[in-house]
Amino acid sequence: MLFSRDWLSVYVDLPETPEAIARRLTFAGFSVEGMTERDGEPADTVFDVDVTTNRPDAMNHAGLARELSVLYGRALRLPVPAISESPEGSETAAAAATVEILDADGCSRFVGRVVRGVKVGDSPEWLKRRLESIGKRPINNVVDVTNFVLWELGQPLHAYDLAQLQGAKLLVRRAREGERLTTLDGVDRALDPEMLVIADAARPVGLAGVMGGADSEVTAATVDVFLEAAHFDRQAVRLTAKRLGLHTDASHRFERGADLEACRIATDQAAALLVELAGGRVLPGAIDVRGPERPARRGRLDLARLDVFAGATIPPADTHRWLAGLGFAPQALEEGVLAVTIPSWRYYDFEPRSGGEVFAQDLYEEVIRAFGFENVPAALPALPDPDGHPIAAVARRGKIRRHLAASGFVEAVDFAFIDPAADRAYPSLAPEAKALPLENPISKRASVMRRSLVPGLVESARFNQRRGASSVRLFEVATVFFDNPDATLPDQPEMVGLVCGGRVGNPWQHPSGSDLDLFDLKGGVESLAEEMGVRLLARPASGLPGLLAGSAAELYRPEHPTEIVGYLGRLEAEEGYPLYVAEISADALTPETIDLSIDPPSRFPGIDADLTLTHALDVPWAEIEAAIRDLAASVAPDLVSFELTVRYRGEGVPAGAVNTTIHFFYNSRQRSLTQDEVNGEQLALAAELERRFGFRG
Amino acid sequence: MSAEGAPETPGTPGISEAQQLALDFERQAVAVADRPAWEELRLRWAGRKQGVVRTLLGRMGAVPAAERKAYGAAVNTLKDRVEARLAELDAELLSRERDAARRQAAVDVTLPGRRPQLGGVHPITRVMDELQEIFSELGYSVAEGPEVEDDYHNFEALNFPADHPARDTQDTFFLKNGLLLRTHTSPVQIRTMLARKPPIRVICPGRVFRFDNDLRHSPMFHQVECLAVAEGITFGHLKGTLEAFLKRLFSPDTGVRLRPSFFPFTEPSAEVDITCQICGGKGCDTCSGTGWMEILGCGMVDPRVLTNCGIDPDRYSGFAFGLGVDRVAMNRYGFPNIRVFFENDERLLRQVRG
Repeated sequence: MLFSRDWLSVYVDLPETPEAIARRLTFAGFSVEGMTERDGEPADTVFDVDVTTNRPDAMNHAGLARELSVLYGRALRLPVPAISESPEGSETAAAAATVEILDADGCSRFVGRVVRGVKVGDSPEWLKRRLESIGKRPINNVVDVTNFVLWELGQPLHAYDLAQLQGAKLLVRRAREGERLTTLDGVDRALDPEMLVIADAARPVGLAGVMGGADSEVTAATVDVFLEAAHFDRQAVRLTAKRLGLHTDASHRFERGADLEACRIATDQAAALLVELAGGRVLPGAIDVRGPERPARRGRLDLARLDVFAGATIPPADTHRWLAGLGFAPQALEEGVLAVTIPSWRYYDFEPRSGGEVFAQDLYEEVIRAFGFENVPAALPALPDPDGHPIAAVARRGKIRRHLAASGFVEAVDFAFIDPAADRAYPSLAPEAKALPLENPISKRASVMRRSLVPGLVESARFNQRRGASSVRLFEVATVFFDNPDATLPDQPEMVGLVCGGRVGNPWQHPSGSDLDLFDLKGGVESLAEEMGVRLLARPASGLPGLLAGSAAELYRPEHPTEIVGYLGRLEAEEGYPLYVAEISADALTPETIDLSIDPPSRFPGIDADLTLTHALDVPWAEIEAAIRDLAASVAPDLVSFELTVRYRGEGVPAGAVNTTIHFFYNSRQRSLTQDEVNGEQLALAAELERRFGFRG
Repeated sequence: MSAEGAPETPGTPGISEAQQLALDFERQAVAVADRPAWEELRLRWAGRKQGVVRTLLGRMGAVPAAERKAYGAAVNTLKDRVEARLAELDAELLSRERDAARRQAAVDVTLPGRRPQLGGVHPITRVMDELQEIFSELGYSVAEGPEVEDDYHNFEALNFPADHPARDTQDTFFLKNGLLLRTHTSPVQIRTMLARKPPIRVICPGRVFRFDNDLRHSPMFHQVECLAVAEGITFGHLKGTLEAFLKRLFSPDTGVRLRPSFFPFTEPSAEVDITCQICGGKGCDTCSGTGWMEILGCGMVDPRVLTNCGIDPDRYSGFAFGLGVDRVAMNRYGFPNIRVFFENDERLLRQVRG
């Protein structure tokens, strides 16, 4: 918002350099974002000031000058309208036009004045210069006067050609079904019954608080002018402005809250200027239709509590002076307590507590802002105990991230909203839950909340593949979203997603070479589960979208075999090397019981044994594994551990079969086992495995 | 070996002969260059059957009695000398052999080591973790909440009146049934205050969403907000806490300044600037020559917000602030723009350390 230094100087002396003024404003809450020098007589500086939404009262020169007068401790010279009405006995304004507020919620005051016999023409140079300095285009003396007063006092005004108002009547009402209005910008607009309009006897002639209508605008032919300064409801103006996509100087102020008491002085000022610049005479009397009396808001300020809140010692005399300068009319109520009245122009910024005074903190803000934030000493709160409300999910997430990062995976961060097609193309842990669509997505490709981390990870993996990455290993820990019609909010569980593929390392780094496959991914998942203290088991799964049939598994915890907590598999679609993906519920990585005990190893040496079992391809390892665990109790009591070491198909192995080599380790806590003992156990175990699983062609 | 080869067997042994042999031995010993030559020398002179010393000793009986003592002494001298010299040569050869073996086994220690394949956490996570650590030391807990929120927690309870222009500053993604994507992590502050009584000191890290999409803005970004509510919390405490944490996050000589501003949920409110991390405050393109960069927004919790959460504003006060994490991470690592964070280019992410 632009402000002219020269214009501000009309209301307060400003001998400082523009830089100093800009700094002072900025550190009082009126951030100066830019400064432009203007040539001419006198030279001027234009400040671009960011006036925050709570300060509509400072969105004009007199209002901002009020702040400067307090900041610099100088007198404020507010304009006094030099209005001279036509002599008593002549036609009054009320006789020339009538005003009626039919919608009291939408409009709490409507002030009008009538000026007859104006001569519409160019504005004088001084007025053009004022408007041009703040980027406004001069139009004619009537319109320019209304704009000038808006930028002087903050009250939006509108000038009608009285001759164009049917019935010489202005009504404030909601639009009627089917009504239309061509606004000043030449656009013909359909109105709806929620929009607040100004109408004459026949039709709407303006959008209340937003923009006037073209039919009644002041033109070169206009002789009689009706000046309007009204107070419209903030939400009514905002509704109209938003629905029509219009944003004007007037709507900007009304939406934020204009000054109810400025209507009269603004009309007087405009009428006086109009006569001065365009001739004519002001009919006696102002039309002033207003709703019920609105009592001023009041509050009290305890100076000692102010100091405690600020954490600073603020001189009471300064507090008094600043509040007085800002219009709060402080009165000493008792020792150390000031009673204040909120000025009408700050009404909306001081919403009181229910049925009472305004919050003291609203007043503290005014004082501390004038005192200067930089003058408050910094200190740390003296709270002896830590807050002490840790969340398990935070620690869990940190552990998951560190473990996966140490396992070679890089953390990805993907958007929470994705393409609905991508959302459908991959599995989800709640396939029956609906995806939540955004009402106003940035694009179709980001229009539903993801139900799985996999689509984003696949997209990121493809991004890397297309840039020539020889391998990809990414993970993400984030929320997914499942519609839940029974709850107020959707379910938003945390998931861990992984994707990998390609060749890692090189012959020097990994002499055996390593093409990542499903078992690298599964190993990552298993090692994560182990680190977190849980067991995850896999079983074949079918019907998982996007995953290659026969290379997909669902994950479950042995304690709850029917509850699926994750899945993994190979992607069906390929670009270059195959990709493998997994998703696990983070909750499933929280152990239900925590067993931190360890199993001390035997002090005696143990004995190794190997077995190569040739069995049919369709015998799952999980079955062999279960059989070994089961048999160990009966035939191999000293078996401590076993692991799969080789899977081989090829020369020497019959078609339809595979060689599985298993390494066994026997040991005893009590003594050294003999080779004969171990041989006995191992032979019995091998014979039974052979009997159950051995390949028979 | 002919001229200086095995000694002729003398007809009559004598002292002079032993002395002559000692000279021969020295001459031959000097010529020994490797293990076979040494072995040959040893056999010739110290061999237990045919060696010269053995032979000389064996002929002791043939020496006239009068000379026998002297002869014996001369042979013994030769024997000692032979043994000592052979041992000396043996040690020399051993040392040379060990050197050779070492040379054989030597490796090029400048070859690259075989590293475990490390991954890494995202740069945003790194900054988040650091913030959590700093605030943990200051006694703060972490609080979390849902990303899909309702209007009450995201706006209304935070003193954004319905249909007020203050909402325009937070362009919102909406879902059906009045739900929305949280535009800040402040709803977590509300949920925390509704669930707990003061004293409260929490930080609320998380993803947030705003309808904004260009090189400088991403529709999703990350925030850490901080909330302290207790009896006697002052504006000075807000300043002190900001300074403590910003100097830890950036550097001890980082300058911090507050500019009054407006947020519906705090009053007084301020924008906080720190000395530009690019130019150190001298003024550069990044800070538009001001020497300062805007880093966060803060303020004293608005009494209406406390009231909405069932906290008596006459008894308690509080401060809050919110920091955009992505921008901090961008500056720290030199990411060219915020969009790069979400492309997940491994070539970039694998470089991020520290």
